[in-house]
Amino acid sequence: MGYLATTNFFEDREFVDKWLYTIRTGELDLSWMKAGTEKVRPHVENPRRGLIYRDINLGSYGVEAIPEKVRLNRSFAPRGAEIPEGVPDAQPWVSRKSELWAHNTDGYYEEAVTRQWNATTDIPWDRLEGVELPEAAGKALSQLMTFLTEVEMIATDTPATWLPRLNPDFIEVKAFIAAQVMDEARHTEVFRKRALTTGFGLMKASPMNEMALKHLRDADSFSEMSVALHLVAEGNVLTLFRFSEYLSPTDVDKKIFRLVMQDEARHVGYGMQHFKWVLEHFPQKREILHGHLDEAENISFAGGAATELTESFIVLAGGGLKRENIEKGVRITTAFQLKQMQEHFERLEKCGMPERSSVDRSKLWAMFEMGKAAAAEAGIRF
Amino acid sequence: MAIRFPSTDYFNSLKKLMEADQARFRRLGFIDTTFGVSVTHNETSRDFVLTFEVFELKEVREVEKIDIAQVDFVIAGDAAVWRDMLENIRRNGEADAQHDLNTLAHFGEALKVSYAEPEGHDKLYRFMESIQEFFDLTSQIEVGF
Ligand SMILES: [Fe+2]
Ligand SMILES: [Fe+2]
Repeated sequence: MGYLATTNFFEDREFVDKWLYTIRTGELDLSWMKAGTEKVRPHVENPRRGLIYRDINLGSYGVEAIPEKVRLNRSFAPRGAEIPEGVPDAQPWVSRKSELWAHNTDGYYEEAVTRQWNATTDIPWDRLEGVELPEAAGKALSQLMTFLTEVEMIATDTPATWLPRLNPDFIEVKAFIAAQVMDEARHTEVFRKRALTTGFGLMKASPMNEMALKHLRDADSFSEMSVALHLVAEGNVLTLFRFSEYLSPTDVDKKIFRLVMQDEARHVGYGMQHFKWVLEHFPQKREILHGHLDEAENISFAGGAATELTESFIVLAGGGLKRENIEKGVRITTAFQLKQMQEHFERLEKCGMPERSSVDRSKLWAMFEMGKAAAAEAGIRF
Repeated sequence: MAIRFPSTDYFNSLKKLMEADQARFRRLGFIDTTFGVSVTHNETSRDFVLTFEVFELKEVREVEKIDIAQVDFVIAGDAAVWRDMLENIRRNGEADAQHDLNTLAHFGEALKVSYAEPEGHDKLYRFMESIQEFFDLTSQIEVGF
């Protein structure tokens, strides 16, 4: 590949002459009309739904036409188009289907598109007028929102980083990842807006949380990124949102958490489907993913225990700073942490990795067992 | 005239209201899930299976017993809890902060969510706002218990 443009077209006599020739004569090349591509007639399966990706999943345009190793398309050519000589090599990093594929990716994308919401107009912000939270609860809520804004910013960056690296044959995955980026940008927005509307401003950034977030961005392969982001991190965040909804002090906060929860569950859905797919179709990757999960579980265990998160959660859950509030808060927060772990292993098992539910294979499982015993002793249900 | 809860009539009246309020439910997006609702009274339960497709409730059936493998999830609870939730919706126009589904089902003390597959369970959260606003339509009907 040459420097940006392969030719200096302004000084290419032949190119400029051809341009002028077409203007003068109207003589056309028309070779594109003879593209050796398939003619198809898509049909809208369900008019209520409209023309969805699945309706155009036909022949050489369909997902079944993508080989496990995409060798022919390294350009920006749309899947199914004729690829002539001379298209650039876009150097995609991920050209192996099982490294990113997931059953129902197109469905998750279509769902994402119809379920977009607007953080400015869909949240009844006006209901917060005159709502004064007590200082401890207000600061705790703002700290939780500060923490979540930090999280969502990396949740935006990470999938976005991978977008240009994915082979253009994987249109549906690229579309889903692009939709996720939009979802996460909206989450960043809604949490920032809520933090500032508490009246306490933003609180404090979290070093432990940021260490945890950084590892999401720095994975070596898409699959490793996906297992760490979609399965581990977003799985944890989904549980966090459900607890936060439960603890929310106002119906405005409840609405915020219900809406972010929907997006998060979709991201987790894709993550589970991809994890299943990669384990089934690329078995050599299993040990690499185990290795990455070791790291991801270590980091999520630490990140989940970040002071800025746990303490704000305890204060919110307990409703204040008195001894009885803290006691109640610790119980709910412990239940939350154990629920996160339980659901994490449940998902892994369902995806085809039941062996991590063992002290020999996962240190987090050992912590889960320890936590469960301690909770049982303290009479904490989760 | 009041519509009795629980009954297919009750769910079918919400279905009609959902269809009539297309702008709102289209705005919330596709909802594709089948789930069970179980209402227990004096040790016996009445069980319903609701199938949502595209933007609507496609059908509701009363069944002898919900086969958990055939649905994404089941929301079960005592008739008194359901009644309290629906009366709250009627009073308030929508569920207040103590009576929304996620809050009531959270620790499984009031309502209990069960599922066979984690993906089915996650669908409750993928479509949470639509499901909540579906039940919130109760504010527009007279319900008897
Ligand atoms: Fe998010
Ligand atoms: Fe997410």
